[in-house]
Amino acid sequence: MGKFPPSFRSAISSTSLIKNTPSQQQQQPHYFPKKLTKKNSPKPHETQTPPPQKSLFKTSSLNEAKSLFNSFISTTKAPLLDNLRLHNSFLQSYTSISTLDDSISLLDHMVKTLPSLSPDRSTYHVLLSQSCREPDSPLSSAQKVLNLMVNKGFKPNQFTVDVAIRSLCSVGRVDDAILLVKEFSSKHSKPDTFTYNFLVKCLCKSRIFNSVYSFIDEMKSSFDIKPDLVTYTILIDNVCNAKNIREADRLVAVLKECGLKPDAFLYNTIMKGYCLLNKGIEAVRIYKQMKEEGVEPDLVTYNTLIFGLSKCGRVSEAKKLLKIMVESGHFPDAVTYTSLMNGMCREGDALGAAALLEEMELKGCSPNSCTYNTLLHGFCKGRMLNKGVELYGVIKKGGMKLETASYATFVRALCREGRVAEAYEVFDYAVESKSLTDVAAYTTLESTLKWLKKAREQGLAV
Amino acid sequence: MLPQKMKKAITDNPKQLANLIDLVNLPSTLRDFVGQSQISHLGCFMRVWSYIKTNNLKDPNNKNVVNCDEKLKSILLGKQQVELVELPALIKLHFPKQKKFP
Repeated sequence: MGKFPPSFRSAISSTSLIKNTPSQQQQQPHYFPKKLTKKNSPKPHETQTPPPQKSLFKTSSLNEAKSLFNSFISTTKAPLLDNLRLHNSFLQSYTSISTLDDSISLLDHMVKTLPSLSPDRSTYHVLLSQSCREPDSPLSSAQKVLNLMVNKGFKPNQFTVDVAIRSLCSVGRVDDAILLVKEFSSKHSKPDTFTYNFLVKCLCKSRIFNSVYSFIDEMKSSFDIKPDLVTYTILIDNVCNAKNIREADRLVAVLKECGLKPDAFLYNTIMKGYCLLNKGIEAVRIYKQMKEEGVEPDLVTYNTLIFGLSKCGRVSEAKKLLKIMVESGHFPDAVTYTSLMNGMCREGDALGAAALLEEMELKGCSPNSCTYNTLLHGFCKGRMLNKGVELYGVIKKGGMKLETASYATFVRALCREGRVAEAYEVFDYAVESKSLTDVAAYTTLESTLKWLKKAREQGLAV
Repeated sequence: MLPQKMKKAITDNPKQLANLIDLVNLPSTLRDFVGQSQISHLGCFMRVWSYIKTNNLKDPNNKNVVNCDEKLKSILLGKQQVELVELPALIKLHFPKQKKFP
């Protein structure tokens, strides 16, 4: 049924991805940027390592790693040996299974056997990210690597902070991350906005809001790192998910005081919050406010609004909005239509929703499985079982998944008509297509049949 | 909304889930049919249902009824014909609620 378009989330989470491109290229002209993207996201970083190297290390034994390195340099051709990236990823794949001390020793060994090799900043970042990714190790191991790095003449910079913070957060060491960020800010370099916002996002997930606020205040007062619009959007998103709209309003006031101007993302986030609470009217209010302030609504804005209005039963307004949307040059997508269909089905106008499906296909917008599920649900609720069976045929043909709600409604509708064999067939399809877990599919079928049996005993059903 | 609620209802009820997927020692009648000494409630249902499908035991005139063969009869209370509606309930009979361990 009506889900939030994924673009909602990405509005916030994508900020950390955007980061790599502009800011890095200014500072490190070589191949370094690529190296860093690897470490910025600690997870893909293991998968990105070349596959043959991944299987290189079968044990975490240091001696074997050393001999492996020796055989590696004796078999590799000369030009390749100068490639530092190769050695970095060699080290990196070793760090994924070894302890920090072993990795440091391996690096020593590598430098000794291959004097032309001079470790650069990213080499130390590899070690740093390892020291931060060990779940139970104290912060001192990270400091050890940092000291090593400083001794070799690499002053920690913004990327160093970033690598450390992301690694720490990826294993849930948020407390250490806060400590480290403060240490960095006072000693070396301040985190850039991306690192900062990433940390705030992690904090929001694991802490109560007051402690997040106090962290923000502290960063502001001690190190003059101010929260920006993205920070506020993250905060508002989390506040809204906790269904605390009043707090979101307060945050908007605060950010306006700071001289920031809310953008479409921020407004979309607030609207989403209202839609979650079934307050479509309030979402419209935000929309008007947004227009007054001259912020151009985007596709997500309209999708949110149409979703929210449909959800609280104001389909006619949602339809009007669809017109406005088209007039202002946006192309409604599957999410828009599905939300609207959802609203129409709620009103019992499943046929209207079906007409909308045709209109949608006519305009070249292809429906997704959510659309079909919404419609199937609508048909079954509106007691148009034959239409539902027809639609189920389309779903099955397209190999789409059934959703829990539409599956349950459909099975119930079939059983109500006494078409138990077909209900069993739908059950088979649900299990086969892995739409639901076997248990969920079975409990639904079982309880429906139980209900049907009871109804028959009382002479109510066919 | 409904789907989340239902999902929650299932995950919130670990006991019900466990009843469905825990392996159970089978009585001899069921053991002969299944061919193993342990199976879960859910697994047993799937096994019986696929047995019905592969052997085409559904009544050609009324799809909602299964004509039992000898093997199936032995586990479904010896009935000649079984309605699909009853099937889960009949299988449930083999999986009585576990009493608390003394």
